[in-house]
Amino acid sequence: MSQRLKKSLLYWLALSPLVVVILFPFGVMFVTAVRPREELFVYPPRWTFSEFRWDNFVDMWEKTNFGGALFNSLYVSVAATALALVLSIPAAYALSRYRFHGKGLYRNFLLMTQMMSPIVLVLGLFRLMVQFGLVNNLNSLVLTYAAFNMAFTIWMLQSYFNTIPRELEEAAWMDGASHFVSLAKIFLPLAVPAMVVTGIFTFINSWNEFVLALTMIRSQDQYTLPVQIFSQVAGRYQVEWHHVMAGTVLATVPVAIVFSWLQRYLIRGMALGAVK
Amino acid sequence: MASVEIRNVQKSFGAAKILHGVSLDIKDQEFVVLVGPSGCGKSTLLRMIAGLEAITDGEIAIGGKVINDVPPKDRDIAMVFQSYALYPHMSVHDNIAFSLKLRKKSREEIETRVNEAADILNLGDYLQRSPRQLSGGQRQRVAMGRALVRDAQVFLYDEPLSNLDAKLRVSMRTEIKSLHQRVKTTSVYVTHDQIEALTMADRIVVMNAGRVEQVGTPLELYDTPANLFVADFIGSPSMNFIRGTLQQGEAGTFVLGEDGTRLAVPESFAGRAGRKVVYGVRPEHFMLATEDRGAEAIVEVVEPTGANIEVFAELAGERVCALFSERHPFKPGDKIRLATDLGKVHLFDAESGRRL
Repeated sequence: MSQRLKKSLLYWLALSPLVVVILFPFGVMFVTAVRPREELFVYPPRWTFSEFRWDNFVDMWEKTNFGGALFNSLYVSVAATALALVLSIPAAYALSRYRFHGKGLYRNFLLMTQMMSPIVLVLGLFRLMVQFGLVNNLNSLVLTYAAFNMAFTIWMLQSYFNTIPRELEEAAWMDGASHFVSLAKIFLPLAVPAMVVTGIFTFINSWNEFVLALTMIRSQDQYTLPVQIFSQVAGRYQVEWHHVMAGTVLATVPVAIVFSWLQRYLIRGMALGAVK
Repeated sequence: MASVEIRNVQKSFGAAKILHGVSLDIKDQEFVVLVGPSGCGKSTLLRMIAGLEAITDGEIAIGGKVINDVPPKDRDIAMVFQSYALYPHMSVHDNIAFSLKLRKKSREEIETRVNEAADILNLGDYLQRSPRQLSGGQRQRVAMGRALVRDAQVFLYDEPLSNLDAKLRVSMRTEIKSLHQRVKTTSVYVTHDQIEALTMADRIVVMNAGRVEQVGTPLELYDTPANLFVADFIGSPSMNFIRGTLQQGEAGTFVLGEDGTRLAVPESFAGRAGRKVVYGVRPEHFMLATEDRGAEAIVEVVEPTGANIEVFAELAGERVCALFSERHPFKPGDKIRLATDLGKVHLFDAESGRRL
């Protein structure tokens, strides 16, 4: 065995507990989702089953209004991500480039908001949304998700913006570019990796959020995926576990797609530095 | 092309005053170098001309027009940054063409001018590369190219050579100078390297602690420095200084060193006997003297540089450097006698530092 192969094996051995912990729930999820209903509760539990029952997915889709919930989740996550980025980019730019009174205070305030759990604020937020007339409206989630993620996105973006040399913008001004043009042609293209990374985080956070969605949304046709799946489990005489698991499998797919599509920007972001 | 007038310009960051009223007239087509130690305010002054720093007080005019409140993009100035500030996401071609595209020049004109600049700077083969794929010297030339395509009124250079290795720096220095002789655009060049200043400038502005110490041609500054700071800053190895008192004796006027050594000075200083002074002489102006002339010095270190040998010796209690083109076989501990032409002696007031 070559030295390198030995090393690789050793590394994988060291990593294996972690891999098991991460993959185990996915394994359970998957084998339950594709198992025939009759084989759900066998004793002792087995990983194997008699046939792949792909129909489970079709049944689940029809019975649980999965399509509607998927659309709701997509709408909320995309809109919250867009809103958070649109508001965070100027804020982060100002924090990175300008000196103004209360800058330190503002940064500390952002950090402090991160220390509060949304659950603590749920009641207050609910009353706020009642005032706005947004209860049982997906836009209440768009607003709150964007707000909760903005502290993080502003911090992330700001620290990345700090690494983009001011001189690049200054050079653009000297070349005859207005503030706006230098932002659009020089600064923002260089900031894409940071925007993508923060975008991924906001999207995933919004996609998986449960407590606020459960609080703000009342009617089933407005449910997001986590609430929809939860509703298949809670308060029922009989839980259709194969449907629940088929739902969770499908619910993780968009996140996986978004991540694998955008992760190349992550890597590019690390490789892209200013030219020194 | 245009002249630049700087009238009593001041700059403060909060309570800290960076520039204490600088005035300077830069003529059309002139190549002026701002030189000084780091923190002297030279880069700040340059950035104020560029419009990247606000002017706290005073006026800057380009081509006779006051531009205090004109944004950088409308000043028609090209600038080469120390870090080059090339746009990393654009090819060399697009970097150079950026300013032309902003000015909505036709495609043909952009191509002609980019190719012209690339020819002058030998960048023809690299136009499609990204800045990341270039060496330091090539990036520097792209930065020059970006300034060159513009036909700007004024070129500003902010320590453009300080990121290059020594050899490249010398050749780029020559390139920038010959470029200026060709295009003749008024240029302001900031450096902390006095050799760069001496070799490139039509006129040098020596700055220190937010003030202008002296303005003059390279040789004026070298031959008649106005004060101790300029005398020390310009020239390498730098001028030797010996503290002492002006005295009048039978043999003539001399400076009495702190250890009793007598150093002859011109008779014209006779009237100021008793004054505390600093005696200055450049290393290359020392000569070996015979028994009856000069003053005794003890050799400490000998450094051959090829063209010359630098002899560090103790003279009148101070370490001085003497530069000889002859191959003297000195060894540490040797006693030699150093003298200088009276015409090459610089005398400065010990208190004010001003030239006498």
